[in-house]
Amino acid sequence: MRRVAIAASATSRFEKTTDKSIFELACEPCIDIIKNKEIGIDAVLLSTCSTEQYSSTIVAEMLGLRPKISHRIDNLCNSGTNAVASAYSMIAAGLCDSALVVGAEKSDSTGNRLVWDVTRGAFNFPVHWASMFAKAHMSKYGTTGKQMAAVSVKNRKNAARNKNALFQKPVSVEEVMSSKIIADPIKLLDCSRACDGSSALLLVSEQLARKFENPVWIKGIGQQTNSASFGKAAENLSSLDTASRAAKDAYLMAKTKPSEIDVAEVHDAFTILEIMAYEDLGFARKGKGGQYAESNKIAINPRGGILGCGHPIGATGVAQISEIAMQLSGKASERQVKGCKTGLVHNLAAAGSSATVVILGA
Amino acid sequence: MDEFAENLRKEKFQVPVCTVCKAKSWPPSPFCQKCLSRTVFRKVKTEGILQEFATSFVRDHEGVFGIVDMDGIKIIGSFATDRLQKGMLVKMTKCGIKSGTPFYIFEPLR
Ligand SMILES: [Zn+2]
Repeated sequence: MRRVAIAASATSRFEKTTDKSIFELACEPCIDIIKNKEIGIDAVLLSTCSTEQYSSTIVAEMLGLRPKISHRIDNLCNSGTNAVASAYSMIAAGLCDSALVVGAEKSDSTGNRLVWDVTRGAFNFPVHWASMFAKAHMSKYGTTGKQMAAVSVKNRKNAARNKNALFQKPVSVEEVMSSKIIADPIKLLDCSRACDGSSALLLVSEQLARKFENPVWIKGIGQQTNSASFGKAAENLSSLDTASRAAKDAYLMAKTKPSEIDVAEVHDAFTILEIMAYEDLGFARKGKGGQYAESNKIAINPRGGILGCGHPIGATGVAQISEIAMQLSGKASERQVKGCKTGLVHNLAAAGSSATVVILGA
Repeated sequence: MDEFAENLRKEKFQVPVCTVCKAKSWPPSPFCQKCLSRTVFRKVKTEGILQEFATSFVRDHEGVFGIVDMDGIKIIGSFATDRLQKGMLVKMTKCGIKSGTPFYIFEPLR
């Protein structure tokens, strides 16, 4: 298998809503990447849950590209990380040498709620399954609302150093704790928010990577799919089996372990998910995720995570990988994590029914 | 419209059951997930164990809700009371479709 690098990345400013079409949103970060660069693009993969027909190929045409491969990848919140795994595979296999992966979403995306899933009945918002996870984690391990709030406080603080983040204002533990209850025990400031946004990555073969400054290598990928429904995903409410198995595969492929990770972007659409991620990724022991939230050693969600940046679902996974690539290539400016060499991205879809873990190296 | 929703509209809770191995297919599917044979809709037991519950304040989705395991069929239903306990036996008393969305109402069993 050929090695694959991330040669460039760009992310647009995430906003509550804009007048831009999904195509305009998708093109913006791509233009930053391909403009004035003499590089052929062999593949364009668009990650989005927007339902416009032939959308990836429309984006390719708007960018003046004639790639070999062009198609959309739709897998709810996991779409972006799935698209990167697909582009990686195409390059590793020799099908192409360069791939532009772009994630884009509008705030009113149909992907924000999985209508097909009748197992959720009338309680079919993501916050409903998130509250089940939170209650189960609290009763089994004694996790507290204050520990969940610590996640929100950290990520909003980080987002304040990221000009592309939707939320620019830090919040205090008290503000999180006194915010409106949405689905007990989940409060408003425990929740992320859907928004308009886009992010893009250029993946290249080892040979092409030599032309770029500080390429970041994709060292390991793990993906697991358990189900689409919450009914099946809910076998165990206090941990996400998909994430822990995906992590195991990714660590094995990258020949690394949790203690080697210097920086990570983890899926924090709700604060409880970041706490579960600490455990599923092996950063904290099972049941100790809440304590870890108040004392974590690794730089987690330096861009502000989903809680701070907003959640344009098709763009999220791409933006997470973009952040870790920037960190590892030393281009993260005011939020640069010093001396980081190995980074990890953890992403989920629909109550953790599917999960992806990607490990990157400088 | 699919048969599951059609039944729900008539306030009937029916689930596809495999014509060969008798396994229940949940969420509903025309195919058995165990042996991939065709399924037919059948009435199933609507008593189950309450696994977890919480209270929703989401507009138009207010109330106590919980996940119930009815012999492997895991489903989120609503409750008229919050005097609930994890692990208690509950029963579906009503189901249907409102504004295009399925709903399932449960109550605790004595
Ligand atoms: Zn069967």
